[in-house]
Amino acid sequence: MKAIISANNVTKSYGSIRAIVGLHLEIPEGEFFGFLGPNGAGKTTTIRMLTSIIEPDSGEITIAGHAYPNLKPITSLIGVVPESRGFYDWMTAEEYLLFFAQLYSIPNPLKKVERLLEMVNLLKRKNSVIATFSRGMKQRLGLSRALINDPKILFLDEPTLGLDPQGQEEIQNLLKQLNKNGETIFLSSHQLNEVSNLCSRVAIINQGRLVAQGTIAELQAKTNLEGSTLKEIFLTLTNNNNV
Amino acid sequence: MFKHIWFKELRERFYTWKGTLWLVIASLVFSLVSYLLLTDKELSLLDQTEMMWMLAKVIIGTGILIVTIDASSIITDEFEKETAESLFLSPIRMRDFVLGKLLASLTLWLFIFIVSIPYIIVTSVGTHLLLPFLFYVFLLGTLGVLGFIMFIFSISLLFRSSKNTLTTSLIILLAIAIPALFPAMLKNNSLAAILSKANPIDNMFSSLDNVLVDYKASLFNNWQFIFPLVLFCLITFVFLVYVIKHFKLAGVVKNE
Repeated sequence: MKAIISANNVTKSYGSIRAIVGLHLEIPEGEFFGFLGPNGAGKTTTIRMLTSIIEPDSGEITIAGHAYPNLKPITSLIGVVPESRGFYDWMTAEEYLLFFAQLYSIPNPLKKVERLLEMVNLLKRKNSVIATFSRGMKQRLGLSRALINDPKILFLDEPTLGLDPQGQEEIQNLLKQLNKNGETIFLSSHQLNEVSNLCSRVAIINQGRLVAQGTIAELQAKTNLEGSTLKEIFLTLTNNNNV
Repeated sequence: MFKHIWFKELRERFYTWKGTLWLVIASLVFSLVSYLLLTDKELSLLDQTEMMWMLAKVIIGTGILIVTIDASSIITDEFEKETAESLFLSPIRMRDFVLGKLLASLTLWLFIFIVSIPYIIVTSVGTHLLLPFLFYVFLLGTLGVLGFIMFIFSISLLFRSSKNTLTTSLIILLAIAIPALFPAMLKNNSLAAILSKANPIDNMFSSLDNVLVDYKASLFNNWQFIFPLVLFCLITFVFLVYVIKHFKLAGVVKNE
């Protein structure tokens, strides 16, 4: 199957710090792809390069047929739950989504906003000011904002960070459903159980370098850890106990 | 696209009472100055046209000061409150983003001008200068505010910090405004005269003096004061366009 997300020999440095070194990724359409790495490994930088927020120093990036540096058209094809979780706290949930619906020129925005709020279980709170929302509610609102343009690809940077088990379960079920409907999902997470439950393939990055990529069975074979968990594989490959 | 940013900013200013508070402060300043002009023993001895000139300077000065403080955070808040990333992941273009913010800041000036209208009417009762008074306060104030907003937006995009932007903007505003308040005898030497002719605030005050005190209200009689203001706006516009073209999101999103 043709890759919808492709990165070839991508490199990014911040001054003398090499954040990403020679990254190769090929993600076919409809895949639920997990992206793992310890803190500071380069996960967020990778997502920001793939979503055109920052520019790579070198290498090729192609998203849904659009190649870097002409990635601006992808904004209408992708949805992103970024690491920075800023909201316009003075807006209500409905106003917030309507604002983004207007930026994407969505037809019938009110109907769309109601459907999304219902999907993330926030319809009853649509007139509440975001400042009064719990962290979990904000996460769900952020996810609904990422879905406002019916994206072909969904990039998620730690979408369940800081959520209670019920909140995590709700988001995971929603993501499963979206993937079932054909959405390509690129999930960066520290929740290894979540990644092994949801993702069909996983990539592990450490100190800016891709150390492994494949299904969990392929990673087990690669590390000679037959029957081991993703956590054990991760720790072996990154030689890091800070998960 | 810019109108969505413009309306969002206006809603934010009036939902959070920030905009309303600025208007209350402006009206308090105008009330105090009008009251002193009419009741203070020495100020009330001023000729009515001198009073109008003084009030016009206060209106424009207050407008520029309030818009400067407000505009210093209108762009940087998006970076500091971490809303920029979601915003720039949408199809919005940088020029629409800046234009929407610029219109929001200009709208604040427009509201301040509207608040000042009753004070202008009261102080110009009995003269034939009401319309020129309104027209020139609006024209000169709008040009001055526009130039300052574009300068503030440029340094907001360069500094990416509201504190640095506000401090720099206020220093520049004071550096421009204080010489404009010097008496004419201090501007007699050639260097001071050149600086005075290049100073946008000095030109605003000179034009108001020309209109309200010397009764020279036609645009023809004021072009020499308006032209430097237009030039000031053009220079800040070119600076802003340059900064927008070279702006990169790296460094403004968290952890970059």
